[in-house]
Amino acid sequence: MKLISLLLLTFSLSYASVLTDYLDSLDIQAKKDNQGFNGFDKKRGEKIFTSKHLGKKGKEISCVSCHTNNFTQNGENLFTGKLIKPLSPKVNPKRFVKLKTIKKWIKRNFKDVYKREGTALEKGDVITYILSKD
Amino acid sequence: MKKMIFTILALSITLFAANNNSNIMTSKTLYMQECASCHMGYQTEFLPKRSWIKMMNTLEDHFGVDATFDKEDEERVREYLVSNASDSKRTYGDMKKFSRSISSKSTPLAISEIPKFKREHDEVPKRLIIQKEVKTISNCMACHTDAQKGLYKERNILIPNFGRWDD
Repeated sequence: MKLISLLLLTFSLSYASVLTDYLDSLDIQAKKDNQGFNGFDKKRGEKIFTSKHLGKKGKEISCVSCHTNNFTQNGENLFTGKLIKPLSPKVNPKRFVKLKTIKKWIKRNFKDVYKREGTALEKGDVITYILSKD
Repeated sequence: MKKMIFTILALSITLFAANNNSNIMTSKTLYMQECASCHMGYQTEFLPKRSWIKMMNTLEDHFGVDATFDKEDEERVREYLVSNASDSKRTYGDMKKFSRSISSKSTPLAISEIPKFKREHDEVPKRLIIQKEVKTISNCMACHTDAQKGLYKERNILIPNFGRWDD
């Protein structure tokens, strides 16, 4: 029992640090980009996540098209049919664990929906939205 | 107490190492992680070296999607694909037949562009391909239930809302 709680504690510590560090770095960049920056906002993040845009494949899509808007459920790649595991770190402990993976997907997925990489502000907002939801 | 602190430290170090050391991963695992998160991890023996090289050089626009990843990892996947391509090793069965049908003048990027692939699938009605359980001809596993293991024989085919396929 003691070992399990230790494991959980260590895991949550290592999980929190990667994500917190990343959000901190986005925070610094957002301040550089805009002096008036006043923290990330889940409302703005929600709009980024749910609004539809003409994506890279020439089809109107939003993040919801593949991830759904219930982050405790599986999603499905709209184009290939491949299963996408839930976005919520509470039901999918592999989410938001590796910095490399977080950066890779957020960059790619912005390009998929918005045809550009997304600013630090937008990235921070959308991650804040995802984490606020579950 | 000392013991507890020690355990926490040891565990943190292990987790940290597990998070950061991707070298432990084999090239095959890396290929599956990076490529098979969006589509099936196709058997590398379906395409020749030149196709895989072109594929890895054009990841920025990979069938309309940005599929780039860490540059060092991309190098490892490129090496894996090239050394396991159809013209790098002895191939068997369907993969041999498929790759042999590719003209030496062409560099297909999609396995579904291979002449033998087209011939094998030309009798499948379009509605069975575009239905939601399949979506696209590149979704092998939807009908070839053991595609992931490289088994594409007729007895391993089960088309959703249709059933077995007999030629």
